Amino acid sequence: MLASPERASDPAIRRALAVHRNTATKAARDALFANYPVVAALVGEDAFAACATAYVEVSPPAEARLCLYGSRFPAFVDAWTPFAEASYLGAVAALERLVTDALFAADEGLLDPEALAAGIDPDAALRWHPATRTGQSQSPAASLWLAHQADAPPEALDTLIWAPEQFLITRPADAIEVRVIGAPTRAFLAGSTLATAAENAASEGGDVAAIFATLLSAGAFAGHIQQGENP
Amino acid sequence: MSMTAGLGFKLEHLDEALTARNPGLWFEVHAENYMVDGGPRLRALVALASQFPISLHGVGLSLASAEPPTPEHLTLLRRLVDRIQPAAVSDHLAWQKWEGAHHADFLPFPRTREALAITADNVARVQDALGRAIMVENPSLYVDLPGHELDEAAFLSQLATRTGCGLLVDVNNIFVSAANLNFSAEARIDAIPASIVGEIHLAGHRPDPDPTSGLLIDSHDASVSDPVWLLYQRLIDRIGPRPTIIERDDEIPQFNELMLERDRAHRLLEQRMPVDA
Repeated sequence: MLASPERASDPAIRRALAVHRNTATKAARDALFANYPVVAALVGEDAFAACATAYVEVSPPAEARLCLYGSRFPAFVDAWTPFAEASYLGAVAALERLVTDALFAADEGLLDPEALAAGIDPDAALRWHPATRTGQSQSPAASLWLAHQADAPPEALDTLIWAPEQFLITRPADAIEVRVIGAPTRAFLAGSTLATAAENAASEGGDVAAIFATLLSAGAFAGHIQQGENP
Repeated sequence: MSMTAGLGFKLEHLDEALTARNPGLWFEVHAENYMVDGGPRLRALVALASQFPISLHGVGLSLASAEPPTPEHLTLLRRLVDRIQPAAVSDHLAWQKWEGAHHADFLPFPRTREALAITADNVARVQDALGRAIMVENPSLYVDLPGHELDEAAFLSQLATRTGCGLLVDVNNIFVSAANLNFSAEARIDAIPASIVGEIHLAGHRPDPDPTSGLLIDSHDASVSDPVWLLYQRLIDRIGPRPTIIERDDEIPQFNELMLERDRAHRLLEQRMPVDA
């Protein structure tokens, strides 16, 4: 009855159900606007609202935490006919979903570059921070996302290179950071210890020290990998 | 009463909120927005809770559903309660869950004795899971459903008796419901049992954008209206001061503008404080 208020026979109940339906739909749609701001900016408010409203119809929230709503929205955006000529939208939505995951992931200390100076065991486990995510797209999803951030240079969209991208999402402090990364960095991140990470990156022709420094400052790893025996 | 009037907290107001020094100030958040593993939003609430009393106001327990709150939801809420140590925990006399979907609004139901038993069972489950009493809020009503066996005041009063829960009186919801269902808001205010009221909500409303419905919508997107302020004064004249929250969830103004409304409620509460001999 809530899905189709017009079917209620009593006009007073029909009117009330329409109010409740509008309120619930608006709340879910607002959550999609909040969780997919770059897709909304790319297509404009009206086009996004139409897509979001259709999504709320077929995939209403399954639980009350609307800050996490929209896990299947990227696939829906990808298949949404009005967006068919903008195939990059699904990829941007997929990245934004990972941003939401990262934003609400558990807190944990970061692997501290200072502590590393004391020396670390290259065979100790190298763990990602709970907020760290990686992804790849056929379109420049990360560059599109970066170009829509408040601190983006004005020419960011004009200088965009339309090529596949790999990207890294981290949460070093109170804000999400997104980076386009190359194959050596991706290979480093696949390592389960510092030794294998370095080996992976080197085999892809990467500058291991520079990659590790970048990943540390990005906050990609969780704190306290096991220290060596000697102080 | 150390807590007087407070605000529904908006993340964009964090810096101003943290530096506010108004006596009696406190804040309320929608619990579900913070039932997450971690991150900056949760850290902001922890920072706020280190300086002010906090109310965790749920919008998702679906207390009037035949289906009880899930253990997962209760575990997440308990984790947040343990972390924040809130001054108050509350949710609504309504339901949201239906066929696996969560409808993000407060849906009405026939207030039968069976519904009372179900709701009391759900409230008891929540209170057991949290190890503390909660408060239950009267929702905005848009239709007088057939089949009620108890009026709202009696239902809430019996719910409190059965479970030990308190009552969160939303004065704006009473005003909106009275307009929509054509009853006396004053009489409804006067019927509220004083002893179980633990908190009061004030908010704004507006007419339905669809003018044919003739309904008022509990939109939380405007300042508190004059008739709602009058009903508020009528309530606290009778029951005495209670911690009060100004809710605003849309068309959010500057922090200072919200604080003006908050200060107005604060003054009304102060005027009704018992004077030391």
